[in-house]
Amino acid sequence: MSVTRWLIGSAGVVLIGWGALRLLTEIPDGDLVALAIWLAVAVAVHDGVLAPLTALAGAMINRFVPGRLRRFVSGALVAGVGITAISIPLLLRENTQPAAKALLRQNYAVHLAWLWVIIGGTAAGLYVVRIVRDARATRGR
Amino acid sequence: MPTLRLPSSPPRLWPRFAERLRSPAVTARVGRVLGLAIGICFVTGLLSGYQYHPWTWLPEPAHPVWGYRLTQGLHVTTGIASIPLLLVKLWSVYPRLFAWPPARSLVHLVERLSIGVLVAVALIELMTGFLNVLGWYAWPWPFVAVHRFLGFVLAGSVLLHVAVKLPVIRAALSRPVAADEPAGGGLTRRGLLTATGAGVTLAVITTVGQSVGRLEPLGLLAPRRPSTGPQHVPVNKTAAQARVRRVAADWRLEVRGPRPFTLGLAELEAGATTRADLPIACVEGWSVDARWHGLPLLDLVRRAGGNADSTVYVHSLQAHGAYSHSLIDGPQLAGALLATHLNGERLDLDHGYPVRLIAPDRAGVLNTKWLALVEVR
Repeated sequence: MSVTRWLIGSAGVVLIGWGALRLLTEIPDGDLVALAIWLAVAVAVHDGVLAPLTALAGAMINRFVPGRLRRFVSGALVAGVGITAISIPLLLRENTQPAAKALLRQNYAVHLAWLWVIIGGTAAGLYVVRIVRDARATRGR
Repeated sequence: MPTLRLPSSPPRLWPRFAERLRSPAVTARVGRVLGLAIGICFVTGLLSGYQYHPWTWLPEPAHPVWGYRLTQGLHVTTGIASIPLLLVKLWSVYPRLFAWPPARSLVHLVERLSIGVLVAVALIELMTGFLNVLGWYAWPWPFVAVHRFLGFVLAGSVLLHVAVKLPVIRAALSRPVAADEPAGGGLTRRGLLTATGAGVTLAVITTVGQSVGRLEPLGLLAPRRPSTGPQHVPVNKTAAQARVRRVAADWRLEVRGPRPFTLGLAELEAGATTRADLPIACVEGWSVDARWHGLPLLDLVRRAGGNADSTVYVHSLQAHGAYSHSLIDGPQLAGALLATHLNGERLDLDHGYPVRLIAPDRAGVLNTKWLALVEVR
Protein backbone atom coordinates (compact mmCIF):
# COMPACT_ATOMS: atom_id res chain seq x y z
CA MET A 1 0.00 0.00 0.00
CA SER A 2 1.27 3.46 -0.85
CA VAL A 3 2.48 6.01 1.69
CA THR A 4 -0.41 8.30 0.70
CA ARG A 5 -2.97 5.66 1.58
CA TRP A 6 -1.28 4.94 4.89
CA LEU A 7 -1.20 8.65 5.77
CA ILE A 8 -4.84 9.26 4.84
CA GLY A 9 -5.97 6.09 6.59
CA SER A 10 -3.96 6.83 9.74
CA ALA A 11 -5.34 10.37 9.90
CA GLY A 12 -8.82 8.85 9.59
CA VAL A 13 -8.21 6.37 12.40
CA VAL A 14 -6.88 9.16 14.65
CA LEU A 15 -9.98 11.32 14.03
CA ILE A 16 -12.33 8.37 14.59
CA GLY A 17 -10.50 7.47 17.78
CA TRP A 18 -10.60 11.04 19.06
CA GLY A 19 -14.31 11.42 18.34
CA ALA A 20 -15.14 8.03 19.86
CA LEU A 21 -13.04 8.74 22.95
CA ARG A 22 -14.77 12.08 23.55
CA LEU A 23 -18.18 10.46 23.01
CA LEU A 24 -17.45 7.61 25.42
CA THR A 25 -15.94 9.81 28.14
CA GLU A 26 -18.16 12.90 27.96
CA ILE A 27 -21.61 11.66 26.99
CA PRO A 28 -23.73 9.89 29.65
CA ASP A 29 -24.24 6.14 29.09
CA GLY A 30 -28.00 6.46 28.62
CA ASP A 31 -27.52 9.01 25.84
CA LEU A 32 -24.91 6.79 24.18
CA VAL A 33 -27.36 3.90 24.13
CA ALA A 34 -29.97 6.17 22.53
CA LEU A 35 -27.39 7.35 19.99
CA ALA A 36 -26.41 3.77 19.15
CA ILE A 37 -30.08 2.93 18.59
CA TRP A 38 -30.55 5.96 16.32
CA LEU A 39 -27.45 5.04 14.32
CA ALA A 40 -28.63 1.46 13.86
CA VAL A 41 -32.18 2.52 12.97
CA ALA A 42 -30.88 5.06 10.44
CA VAL A 43 -28.97 2.35 8.55
CA ALA A 44 -31.85 -0.11 8.87
CA VAL A 45 -34.38 2.41 7.52
CA HIS A 46 -32.10 3.47 4.68
CA ASP A 47 -30.90 0.02 3.64
CA GLY A 48 -34.07 -1.83 4.53
CA VAL A 49 -36.80 0.57 3.41
CA LEU A 50 -35.64 3.57 1.36
CA ALA A 51 -33.14 1.77 -0.85
CA PRO A 52 -35.49 -1.15 -1.71
CA LEU A 53 -38.29 1.34 -2.45
CA THR A 54 -35.93 3.25 -4.74
CA ALA A 55 -34.95 0.01 -6.45
CA LEU A 56 -38.64 -0.83 -6.86
CA ALA A 57 -39.33 2.62 -8.33
CA GLY A 58 -36.44 2.08 -10.75
CA ALA A 59 -37.81 -1.31 -11.78
CA MET A 60 -41.29 0.19 -12.31
CA ILE A 61 -39.86 2.92 -14.52
CA ASN A 62 -37.91 0.37 -16.55
CA ARG A 63 -41.02 -1.78 -16.89
CA PHE A 64 -43.69 0.82 -17.67
CA VAL A 65 -42.06 3.97 -19.02
CA PRO A 66 -41.16 3.83 -22.72
CA GLY A 67 -37.47 3.99 -23.61
CA ARG A 68 -37.03 7.53 -24.83
CA LEU A 69 -39.05 9.08 -21.98
CA ARG A 70 -37.45 6.92 -19.31
CA ARG A 71 -34.27 8.91 -18.84
CA PHE A 72 -36.18 12.14 -18.30
CA VAL A 73 -38.47 10.58 -15.68
CA SER A 74 -35.50 9.04 -13.85
CA GLY A 75 -33.51 12.27 -14.10
CA ALA A 76 -36.40 14.31 -12.67
CA LEU A 77 -36.76 11.90 -9.74
CA VAL A 78 -33.03 12.08 -8.99
CA ALA A 79 -33.07 15.89 -9.20
CA GLY A 80 -36.02 16.13 -6.81
CA VAL A 81 -34.85 13.70 -4.14
CA GLY A 82 -32.83 16.26 -2.15
CA ILE A 83 -35.46 18.98 -1.91
CA THR A 84 -38.07 16.35 -1.03
CA ALA A 85 -35.90 14.92 1.74
CA ILE A 86 -35.29 18.30 3.35
CA SER A 87 -38.95 19.26 2.95
CA ILE A 88 -40.19 16.42 5.16
CA PRO A 89 -39.01 17.93 8.48
CA LEU A 90 -39.91 21.42 7.23
CA LEU A 91 -43.49 20.25 6.62
CA LEU A 92 -43.68 18.44 9.96
CA ARG A 93 -42.47 21.49 11.86
CA GLU A 94 -44.16 24.27 9.90
CA ASN A 95 -45.66 27.05 12.05
CA THR A 96 -44.45 25.63 15.35
CA GLN A 97 -42.24 28.59 16.26
CA PRO A 98 -42.91 32.12 17.58
CA ALA A 99 -43.24 34.70 14.79
CA ALA A 100 -40.22 36.70 15.97
CA LYS A 101 -37.90 33.83 15.09
CA ALA A 102 -38.82 34.12 11.40
CA LEU A 103 -38.44 30.33 11.47
CA LEU A 104 -40.57 27.72 9.67
CA ARG A 105 -43.24 30.21 8.68
CA GLN A 106 -43.47 29.38 4.98
CA ASN A 107 -46.00 27.24 3.15
CA TYR A 108 -43.53 24.50 2.37
CA ALA A 109 -46.06 22.14 0.76
CA VAL A 110 -46.92 24.73 -1.90
CA HIS A 111 -43.27 25.64 -2.38
CA LEU A 112 -42.27 22.00 -2.78
CA ALA A 113 -45.09 21.50 -5.26
CA TRP A 114 -43.85 24.48 -7.29
CA LEU A 115 -40.32 23.13 -7.29
CA TRP A 116 -41.60 19.78 -8.56
CA VAL A 117 -43.51 21.64 -11.28
CA ILE A 118 -40.24 23.33 -12.28
CA ILE A 119 -38.36 20.01 -12.27
CA GLY A 120 -41.15 18.25 -14.18
CA GLY A 121 -41.44 21.13 -16.64
CA THR A 122 -37.70 21.14 -17.28
CA ALA A 123 -37.67 17.37 -17.82
CA ALA A 124 -40.70 17.66 -20.16
CA GLY A 125 -39.00 20.47 -22.08
CA LEU A 126 -35.83 18.41 -22.50
CA TYR A 127 -37.95 15.46 -23.63
CA VAL A 128 -39.64 17.59 -26.30
CA VAL A 129 -36.27 18.85 -27.50
CA ARG A 130 -35.15 15.25 -27.76
CA ILE A 131 -38.23 14.24 -29.78
CA VAL A 132 -37.78 17.15 -32.18
CA ARG A 133 -34.09 16.36 -32.64
CA ASP A 134 -34.78 12.68 -33.23
CA ALA A 135 -37.50 13.58 -35.76
CA ARG A 136 -35.11 15.91 -37.63
CA ALA A 137 -32.40 13.28 -37.62
CA THR A 138 -34.85 10.74 -39.08
CA ARG A 139 -36.03 13.19 -41.77
CA GLY A 140 -32.46 14.11 -42.65
CA ARG A 141 -31.64 10.51 -43.46
CA MET B 1 -7.20 -17.78 11.32
CA PRO B 2 -10.57 -19.57 11.43
CA THR B 3 -12.32 -19.68 8.11
CA LEU B 4 -16.04 -19.67 7.61
CA ARG B 5 -17.16 -21.95 4.79
CA LEU B 6 -19.86 -20.34 2.67
CA PRO B 7 -21.49 -21.65 -0.47
CA SER B 8 -19.78 -20.25 -3.56
CA SER B 9 -23.00 -18.66 -4.76
CA PRO B 10 -25.57 -16.74 -2.66
CA PRO B 11 -28.89 -18.26 -1.53
CA ARG B 12 -31.72 -18.29 -4.06
CA LEU B 13 -33.58 -15.30 -2.52
CA TRP B 14 -30.44 -13.18 -2.10
CA PRO B 15 -30.98 -9.79 -3.83
CA ARG B 16 -29.40 -9.48 -7.27
CA PHE B 17 -28.95 -6.29 -9.24
CA ALA B 18 -28.81 -6.01 -13.00
CA GLU B 19 -28.32 -2.26 -12.91
CA ARG B 20 -26.05 -0.87 -15.60
CA LEU B 21 -26.08 2.69 -14.26
CA ARG B 22 -24.34 1.97 -10.99
CA SER B 23 -20.58 2.01 -11.46
CA PRO B 24 -17.41 3.27 -9.78
CA ALA B 25 -17.35 5.99 -12.48
CA VAL B 26 -20.50 7.48 -10.95
CA THR B 27 -19.73 6.67 -7.31
CA ALA B 28 -16.25 8.22 -7.42
CA ARG B 29 -17.53 11.44 -9.02
CA VAL B 30 -20.42 11.90 -6.59
CA GLY B 31 -18.18 10.83 -3.73
CA ARG B 32 -15.54 13.39 -4.65
CA VAL B 33 -18.03 16.24 -4.27
CA LEU B 34 -19.57 14.71 -1.15
CA GLY B 35 -16.13 14.29 0.42
CA LEU B 36 -15.33 17.92 -0.33
CA ALA B 37 -18.64 19.07 1.16
CA ILE B 38 -18.12 17.00 4.31
CA GLY B 39 -14.56 18.33 4.56
CA ILE B 40 -15.79 21.95 4.42
CA CYS B 41 -18.53 21.08 6.90
CA PHE B 42 -15.99 19.58 9.30
CA VAL B 43 -13.51 22.47 9.16
CA THR B 44 -16.19 25.17 9.47
CA GLY B 45 -17.70 23.14 12.31
CA LEU B 46 -14.36 23.24 14.13
CA LEU B 47 -14.20 27.01 13.58
CA SER B 48 -17.69 27.35 15.02
CA GLY B 49 -16.73 25.23 18.02
CA TYR B 50 -13.80 27.58 18.59
CA GLN B 51 -16.20 30.52 18.85
CA TYR B 52 -17.69 28.86 21.91
CA HIS B 53 -14.49 27.53 23.49
CA PRO B 54 -11.52 29.68 22.42
CA TRP B 55 -8.10 29.19 23.98
CA THR B 56 -7.30 32.07 26.33
CA TRP B 57 -4.03 32.83 24.54
CA LEU B 58 -5.70 33.01 21.12
CA PRO B 59 -8.87 35.12 21.29
CA GLU B 60 -11.33 35.09 18.38
CA PRO B 61 -10.36 37.57 15.66
CA ALA B 62 -12.67 40.49 14.86
CA HIS B 63 -11.85 40.63 11.16
CA PRO B 64 -13.28 40.07 8.71
CA VAL B 65 -16.47 41.12 10.52
CA TRP B 66 -18.40 38.64 8.33
CA GLY B 67 -16.03 35.76 9.10
CA TYR B 68 -18.46 33.71 11.16
CA ARG B 69 -21.26 34.58 8.78
CA LEU B 70 -19.26 33.02 5.96
CA THR B 71 -17.98 29.96 7.80
CA GLN B 72 -21.26 29.06 9.47
CA GLY B 73 -23.26 29.78 6.32
CA LEU B 74 -20.90 27.38 4.54
CA HIS B 75 -21.28 24.84 7.32
CA VAL B 76 -25.06 24.67 7.08
CA THR B 77 -25.16 25.01 3.28
CA THR B 78 -22.61 22.27 2.64
CA GLY B 79 -24.47 20.12 5.17
CA ILE B 80 -27.72 20.60 3.24
CA ALA B 81 -25.95 19.97 -0.09
CA SER B 82 -24.55 16.74 1.36
CA ILE B 83 -28.04 15.29 1.88
CA PRO B 84 -28.85 14.66 -1.83
CA LEU B 85 -25.20 13.79 -2.50
CA LEU B 86 -25.21 11.16 0.24
CA LEU B 87 -28.49 9.65 -0.99
CA VAL B 88 -27.20 9.32 -4.57
CA LYS B 89 -23.83 8.04 -3.36
CA LEU B 90 -25.47 5.36 -1.22
CA TRP B 91 -27.81 4.43 -4.07
CA SER B 92 -24.84 3.94 -6.38
CA VAL B 93 -23.22 1.37 -4.09
CA TYR B 94 -26.32 -0.31 -2.69
CA PRO B 95 -25.76 -3.66 -4.50
CA ARG B 96 -22.42 -3.95 -2.74
CA LEU B 97 -24.33 -4.44 0.50
CA PHE B 98 -25.27 -7.85 -0.91
CA ALA B 99 -21.81 -8.77 -2.19
CA TRP B 100 -21.11 -12.47 -1.99
CA PRO B 101 -19.44 -13.76 0.09
CA PRO B 102 -20.35 -11.17 2.77
CA ALA B 103 -16.73 -11.16 3.93
CA ARG B 104 -13.66 -12.71 2.32
CA SER B 105 -11.40 -12.32 5.35
CA LEU B 106 -11.22 -10.74 8.77
CA VAL B 107 -9.71 -7.57 7.28
CA HIS B 108 -12.50 -7.42 4.71
CA LEU B 109 -15.07 -7.89 7.48
CA VAL B 110 -13.56 -5.00 9.48
CA GLU B 111 -13.59 -2.84 6.36
CA ARG B 112 -17.26 -3.62 5.75
CA LEU B 113 -18.12 -2.84 9.37
CA SER B 114 -16.24 0.46 9.10
CA ILE B 115 -18.42 1.31 6.09
CA GLY B 116 -21.46 0.53 8.22
CA VAL B 117 -20.20 3.04 10.80
CA LEU B 118 -19.54 5.60 8.05
CA VAL B 119 -23.05 5.26 6.63
CA ALA B 120 -24.75 5.36 10.04
CA VAL B 121 -22.78 8.37 11.26
CA ALA B 122 -23.22 10.25 7.95
CA LEU B 123 -26.99 9.75 8.00
CA ILE B 124 -27.38 10.75 11.66
CA GLU B 125 -24.93 13.68 11.53
CA LEU B 126 -26.62 15.25 8.49
CA MET B 127 -30.14 14.57 9.71
CA THR B 128 -29.68 15.83 13.27
CA GLY B 129 -27.71 18.82 11.99
CA PHE B 130 -30.59 19.83 9.74
CA LEU B 131 -33.21 19.20 12.44
CA ASN B 132 -31.19 21.38 14.82
CA VAL B 133 -31.51 24.24 12.33
CA LEU B 134 -35.28 23.79 12.67
CA GLY B 135 -35.04 23.82 16.47
CA TRP B 136 -36.27 20.24 16.55
CA TYR B 137 -34.51 18.26 19.25
CA ALA B 138 -36.13 14.87 18.79
CA TRP B 139 -33.37 12.99 20.62
CA PRO B 140 -32.34 12.76 24.28
CA TRP B 141 -28.60 13.50 23.98
CA PRO B 142 -26.99 16.95 24.17
CA PHE B 143 -26.89 18.08 20.53
CA VAL B 144 -23.78 20.25 20.39
CA ALA B 145 -21.35 17.84 22.07
CA VAL B 146 -22.58 14.78 20.16
CA HIS B 147 -22.70 16.65 16.83
CA ARG B 148 -19.14 17.74 17.41
CA PHE B 149 -17.74 14.35 18.41
CA LEU B 150 -19.66 12.53 15.68
CA GLY B 151 -18.18 15.09 13.28
CA PHE B 152 -14.72 13.76 14.12
CA VAL B 153 -15.90 10.18 13.64
CA LEU B 154 -17.51 11.10 10.30
CA ALA B 155 -14.50 13.01 8.96
CA GLY B 156 -12.20 10.19 10.09
CA SER B 157 -14.43 7.51 8.55
CA VAL B 158 -14.43 9.40 5.24
CA LEU B 159 -10.62 9.56 5.27
CA LEU B 160 -10.33 5.87 6.12
CA HIS B 161 -12.81 5.01 3.36
CA VAL B 162 -10.84 7.09 0.85
CA ALA B 163 -7.62 5.37 1.91
CA VAL B 164 -9.14 1.91 1.45
CA LYS B 165 -10.75 2.74 -1.89
CA LEU B 166 -8.02 4.97 -3.33
CA PRO B 167 -6.98 2.62 -6.17
CA VAL B 168 -10.63 2.19 -7.25
CA ILE B 169 -11.25 5.94 -6.98
CA ARG B 170 -8.13 6.77 -8.98
CA ALA B 171 -8.95 4.27 -11.69
CA ALA B 172 -12.55 5.50 -11.93
CA LEU B 173 -11.60 9.18 -12.09
CA SER B 174 -8.81 8.68 -14.61
CA ARG B 175 -11.24 7.49 -17.30
CA PRO B 176 -14.13 9.32 -18.97
CA VAL B 177 -17.39 8.82 -17.11
CA ALA B 178 -19.03 7.08 -20.08
CA ALA B 179 -16.13 4.70 -20.74
CA ASP B 180 -17.32 1.06 -20.82
CA GLU B 181 -20.90 2.16 -20.19
CA PRO B 182 -23.28 -0.54 -21.43
CA ALA B 183 -25.72 0.61 -24.11
CA GLY B 184 -29.42 0.78 -23.38
CA GLY B 185 -32.34 3.15 -22.93
CA GLY B 186 -32.94 5.18 -19.84
CA LEU B 187 -30.72 7.50 -17.88
CA THR B 188 -27.04 7.57 -18.77
CA ARG B 189 -24.21 8.01 -16.29
CA ARG B 190 -23.70 11.56 -17.54
CA GLY B 191 -27.44 12.19 -17.21
CA LEU B 192 -27.40 10.86 -13.65
CA LEU B 193 -24.53 13.17 -12.70
CA THR B 194 -26.30 16.12 -14.33
CA ALA B 195 -29.55 15.35 -12.49
CA THR B 196 -27.65 14.98 -9.20
CA GLY B 197 -25.92 18.31 -9.78
CA ALA B 198 -29.24 19.93 -10.58
CA GLY B 199 -30.77 18.48 -7.41
CA VAL B 200 -27.90 19.72 -5.24
CA THR B 201 -28.06 23.16 -6.88
CA LEU B 202 -31.80 23.31 -6.27
CA ALA B 203 -31.42 22.34 -2.61
CA VAL B 204 -28.74 25.02 -2.17
CA ILE B 205 -30.44 27.91 -3.93
CA THR B 206 -33.77 27.28 -2.20
CA THR B 207 -32.15 27.34 1.26
CA VAL B 208 -29.07 29.58 1.10
CA GLY B 209 -31.28 32.69 1.14
CA GLN B 210 -31.28 32.44 4.93
CA SER B 211 -27.57 33.30 4.86
CA VAL B 212 -27.28 35.44 1.72
CA GLY B 213 -29.63 38.41 1.81
CA ARG B 214 -29.90 38.89 -1.95
CA LEU B 215 -31.06 35.30 -2.42
CA GLU B 216 -33.73 35.44 0.29
CA PRO B 217 -36.60 35.68 -2.27
CA LEU B 218 -35.44 32.31 -3.69
CA GLY B 219 -35.50 30.68 -0.27
CA LEU B 220 -38.59 28.56 -0.88
CA LEU B 221 -37.29 25.84 1.43
CA ALA B 222 -35.21 28.07 3.69
CA PRO B 223 -36.01 27.41 7.35
CA ARG B 224 -35.67 31.16 8.02
CA ARG B 225 -36.72 34.25 6.12
CA PRO B 226 -34.47 36.75 7.95
CA SER B 227 -36.19 39.91 6.71
CA THR B 228 -39.51 38.85 8.27
CA GLY B 229 -38.11 39.06 11.81
CA PRO B 230 -38.72 42.11 14.00
CA GLN B 231 -36.63 45.05 12.69
CA HIS B 232 -35.72 42.77 9.74
CA VAL B 233 -33.61 40.49 11.92
CA PRO B 234 -34.65 37.01 13.13
CA VAL B 235 -34.60 36.12 16.80
CA ASN B 236 -32.96 32.98 18.10
CA LYS B 237 -34.50 33.13 21.58
CA THR B 238 -37.49 35.34 22.27
CA ALA B 239 -37.86 37.37 25.45
CA ALA B 240 -40.71 35.08 26.49
CA GLN B 241 -38.53 31.98 25.99
CA ALA B 242 -35.77 33.61 28.06
CA ARG B 243 -38.40 34.57 30.67
CA VAL B 244 -37.57 38.25 30.33
CA ARG B 245 -41.10 39.61 30.50
CA ARG B 246 -40.48 43.32 30.78
CA VAL B 247 -37.71 45.59 31.94
CA ALA B 248 -38.28 47.54 35.17
CA ALA B 249 -38.48 51.34 34.94
CA ASP B 250 -35.61 51.69 37.40
CA TRP B 251 -33.36 49.36 35.33
CA ARG B 252 -29.69 50.37 35.49
CA LEU B 253 -26.71 48.78 33.80
CA GLU B 254 -24.17 47.88 36.46
CA VAL B 255 -20.52 48.05 35.44
CA ARG B 256 -18.15 46.31 37.86
CA GLY B 257 -14.41 46.82 37.86
CA PRO B 258 -11.72 48.76 39.73
CA ARG B 259 -13.97 51.86 39.43
CA PRO B 260 -17.54 50.54 39.41
CA PHE B 261 -20.49 52.65 38.25
CA THR B 262 -24.02 52.32 36.96
CA LEU B 263 -25.80 53.76 33.94
CA GLY B 264 -29.49 54.62 33.72
CA LEU B 265 -31.64 54.27 30.64
CA ALA B 266 -31.54 57.99 29.76
CA GLU B 267 -27.78 58.21 30.14
CA LEU B 268 -27.31 55.06 28.09
CA GLU B 269 -29.50 56.26 25.24
CA ALA B 270 -27.92 59.73 25.24
CA GLY B 271 -24.47 58.18 24.79
CA ALA B 272 -25.52 55.69 22.12
CA THR B 273 -24.19 57.61 19.14
CA THR B 274 -21.65 55.20 17.70
CA ARG B 275 -22.77 53.39 14.56
CA ALA B 276 -21.59 49.96 13.50
CA ASP B 277 -22.62 47.96 10.45
CA LEU B 278 -22.18 44.40 11.64
CA PRO B 279 -23.86 41.25 10.40
CA ILE B 280 -25.40 38.95 12.96
CA ALA B 281 -24.81 35.29 12.17
CA CYS B 282 -26.38 32.40 14.03
CA VAL B 283 -24.91 28.94 14.61
CA GLU B 284 -28.05 27.66 12.87
CA GLY B 285 -26.81 29.18 9.62
CA TRP B 286 -28.99 32.24 9.16
CA SER B 287 -27.33 35.61 9.00
CA VAL B 288 -28.24 39.14 8.07
CA ASP B 289 -26.64 42.55 7.67
CA ALA B 290 -27.65 45.01 10.37
CA ARG B 291 -27.01 48.60 11.41
CA TRP B 292 -26.48 49.10 15.10
CA HIS B 293 -26.18 52.21 17.28
CA GLY B 294 -24.82 52.14 20.79
CA LEU B 295 -21.85 52.77 23.07
CA PRO B 296 -18.44 51.24 22.42
CA LEU B 297 -18.01 48.60 25.12
CA LEU B 298 -14.35 49.56 25.48
CA ASP B 299 -15.37 53.10 26.58
CA LEU B 300 -17.30 51.65 29.51
CA VAL B 301 -14.49 49.23 30.29
CA ARG B 302 -11.97 52.09 30.43
CA ARG B 303 -14.31 54.17 32.60
CA ALA B 304 -14.52 51.22 35.00
CA GLY B 305 -10.72 51.09 35.21
CA GLY B 306 -10.04 48.38 32.62
CA ASN B 307 -8.40 48.54 29.20
CA ALA B 308 -8.26 46.76 25.84
CA ASP B 309 -6.49 43.81 27.48
CA SER B 310 -9.25 43.27 30.05
CA THR B 311 -11.43 40.19 30.08
CA VAL B 312 -15.04 41.27 30.15
CA TYR B 313 -18.11 39.27 31.13
CA VAL B 314 -21.57 40.49 30.17
CA HIS B 315 -24.59 39.15 32.04
CA SER B 316 -28.21 39.14 30.94
CA LEU B 317 -31.46 39.70 32.79
CA GLN B 318 -32.15 36.17 31.59
CA ALA B 319 -31.69 34.20 34.79
CA HIS B 320 -30.95 30.75 33.39
CA GLY B 321 -29.42 29.15 30.34
CA ALA B 322 -25.93 28.65 28.93
CA TYR B 323 -26.09 31.94 27.02
CA SER B 324 -27.29 34.20 29.83
CA HIS B 325 -23.72 35.52 29.95
CA SER B 326 -20.66 35.57 27.74
CA LEU B 327 -16.98 36.42 27.79
CA ILE B 328 -15.46 38.94 25.43
CA ASP B 329 -11.83 39.95 25.10
CA GLY B 330 -9.09 40.74 22.59
CA PRO B 331 -9.95 42.05 19.13
CA GLN B 332 -13.69 41.45 19.56
CA LEU B 333 -13.73 43.62 22.70
CA ALA B 334 -12.17 46.48 20.74
CA GLY B 335 -14.90 46.25 18.10
CA ALA B 336 -17.85 45.56 20.41
CA LEU B 337 -20.85 47.78 20.88
CA LEU B 338 -23.46 47.87 23.61
CA ALA B 339 -26.31 48.38 21.17
CA THR B 340 -29.49 50.27 21.92
CA HIS B 341 -30.73 50.62 18.33
CA LEU B 342 -31.14 48.17 15.48
CA ASN B 343 -31.73 49.26 11.89
CA GLY B 344 -32.68 52.76 13.00
CA GLU B 345 -35.20 51.78 15.69
CA ARG B 346 -35.01 51.34 19.42
CA LEU B 347 -34.09 47.69 20.10
CA ASP B 348 -37.10 45.36 20.15
CA LEU B 349 -37.58 43.45 23.42
CA ASP B 350 -36.96 40.21 21.51
CA HIS B 351 -33.65 41.63 20.27
CA GLY B 352 -32.46 42.45 23.79
CA TYR B 353 -34.02 45.73 24.93
CA PRO B 354 -32.81 47.79 26.73
CA VAL B 355 -29.25 46.99 25.59
CA ARG B 356 -27.39 44.06 24.07
CA LEU B 357 -23.88 43.17 23.02
CA ILE B 358 -22.94 43.09 19.34
CA ALA B 359 -19.39 42.33 18.23
CA PRO B 360 -17.71 41.62 14.90
CA ASP B 361 -17.17 38.02 13.70
CA ARG B 362 -18.97 36.64 16.75
CA ALA B 363 -21.47 33.77 16.88
CA GLY B 364 -24.97 35.23 17.23
CA VAL B 365 -25.89 33.66 20.54
CA LEU B 366 -22.73 35.02 22.18
CA ASN B 367 -24.00 38.56 21.56
CA THR B 368 -25.79 38.52 24.91
CA LYS B 369 -29.16 40.28 25.10
CA TRP B 370 -31.07 42.13 27.89
CA LEU B 371 -27.87 43.18 29.63
CA ALA B 372 -27.87 43.87 33.35
CA LEU B 373 -24.23 43.66 34.32
CA VAL B 374 -20.82 44.22 32.74
CA GLU B 375 -17.91 42.78 34.70
CA VAL B 376 -14.39 44.01 33.93
CA ARG B 377 -11.64 41.66 35.07
